[in-house]
Amino acid sequence: MKRHFLATLILLAALSPALAVEAGAPKPFERGSWQELLHAHAGHPTLVHFWGVTCGPCKVELPQLGQFMKDHPDIDVVTISADLVPNLPDATRSMLDKAGLASAENWIFGDGFAERLRFEIDPAWQGDIPRTMLIARDGTITTIEGSAELADLKKWSEAQAATIR
Amino acid sequence: MTSRKTAARIVLATILLGALPDFACAQMSHQHASEAACEDTVVRCASKVTPAFATDGTLWLTWMAGGQISVASSKDRGKSFSAAVQVTRDRLNLDWGPDARPKLAIDAKGDIALAFSIFRDQAFNGQVLTTRSTDGGRSFDPPKPITANNESQRFEAIGFDPAGAVFAVWLDKRNRVPAQQRGEKYDGAGLFFATSKDGGATYSDAQLVADNTCECCRLALAFDGAGHPVVVFRNIFEGGVRDHAIVTFTDLGTPGEVHRVSRDDWQIAACPHHGPSLTISREGTYHVTWYTNGKARKGLFYARSRDGGKTFSDPLPVGQPNRSPSRPQIIAGPQGLAMVWKEFDGEKTSINLMTSRDDGASWSKPAVIADTSDSSDHPLLVTDGRQAYLSWMTKADGYHFQAIEGEP
Repeated sequence: MKRHFLATLILLAALSPALAVEAGAPKPFERGSWQELLHAHAGHPTLVHFWGVTCGPCKVELPQLGQFMKDHPDIDVVTISADLVPNLPDATRSMLDKAGLASAENWIFGDGFAERLRFEIDPAWQGDIPRTMLIARDGTITTIEGSAELADLKKWSEAQAATIR
Repeated sequence: MTSRKTAARIVLATILLGALPDFACAQMSHQHASEAACEDTVVRCASKVTPAFATDGTLWLTWMAGGQISVASSKDRGKSFSAAVQVTRDRLNLDWGPDARPKLAIDAKGDIALAFSIFRDQAFNGQVLTTRSTDGGRSFDPPKPITANNESQRFEAIGFDPAGAVFAVWLDKRNRVPAQQRGEKYDGAGLFFATSKDGGATYSDAQLVADNTCECCRLALAFDGAGHPVVVFRNIFEGGVRDHAIVTFTDLGTPGEVHRVSRDDWQIAACPHHGPSLTISREGTYHVTWYTNGKARKGLFYARSRDGGKTFSDPLPVGQPNRSPSRPQIIAGPQGLAMVWKEFDGEKTSINLMTSRDDGASWSKPAVIADTSDSSDHPLLVTDGRQAYLSWMTKADGYHFQAIEGEP
């Protein structure tokens, strides 16, 4: 019995790194998540990037965003995988890891009723990705449709740095 | 004995712990995350359903459910259906993109050609598979690739021409590799086509219609009065502008000149996931609906061409701009034109209808003909030559097949 208990403990210890990685999986983005996210980042310049694992232009942009995050630790970087069908957390995470975005705040659409999720974010958004929303310290949102130009992101983050009191 | 028991317990513990995250995901998908109501292969669990009428008035459906493609038919215009026949057997990663769906076409003899896309690998490269039935839909050949080329393909459209040949058109990334080898940037995908003279058993070599078109929107296919294929697609024009274009074939193997449908000026390096719809009326008029978010206009639009797609009327806005209008479909039925699209009010998705009895010169006021309060497929239109019908799969309320009643 004692041996059994010990073995289970060893097993749990061996499994814990795997469980820890699991804990870093993208969070499900559901009804109300958008307001939660805005609230959590209120007062901090935040870049929210919408993308998806099957989107060609996203594959090109994602590593650029990883580099941007590395170069701009003062900006909160949030990614939201907004492909219509979820259940692909593994593929999503693998692409985020490769792009250097594993430590960003990562979400994945977790509601099959994607129209409603998009409507909460921006009623005019029909689901085209990539899409980037730049949320300034004062809450002003600038939306970039399609792939963002790195130069524009840098310009925006510099402007944000200048607003620090 | 004791030690063996311990080992067995450890194995069990490992299985349980290992299974936990997956189990949690599976539970979640049942409740919210899936577009489908359930995970079986029956139509009730489908995320995408596509209808087509045979010339004898039989309604055929093909759908995607439980990771498989199935078909069933109805002799009473959708009131009751035959037992489902599963087309696929292997566990395939079916293309679940918003604008992807299985398609079928039925020839005058009742033979069925069917096509769909799968994700072939971990990088989500697509592959178009085709199959056919020569026994009235009782069985299907094992699905096989439409082309030997192995670069990514998606968004196929198929139809029988009046002579009984299958025409297939799709988006294909094969020209990316040579462009990159030359050190050139390659945008989008090529619009390719092939034909089959044996009902879809074998297809001709793929041929290019236009290169560097938008890679992630469904194509619209119709046949003109002479039986020539006409294809509307989201092109990439100069400067990365993803506006719509149209091509009319001069015969089954020869694409004509590509013309522009409208100048919306939507410059975007993104996947709009939102393709056009095309129908050709008895008068020979081309009717097109589409979505754009361009500098010139934003939303859903309709335009018609009375010169075989060379020039189009001024785009007519469709739907209420504050209701996120999307997924437009248009069909020329025996009583005139019908156009449907989705709107969303923050809680419910509604299907809106407009009709025209003067070949698109004027349109009725929009009317809501169906709604649902969870996820739903695109609304589709189909006609048996006597009546037009709405085909719409919803997660909460199941499959709708309803007659379009003249002018609302």
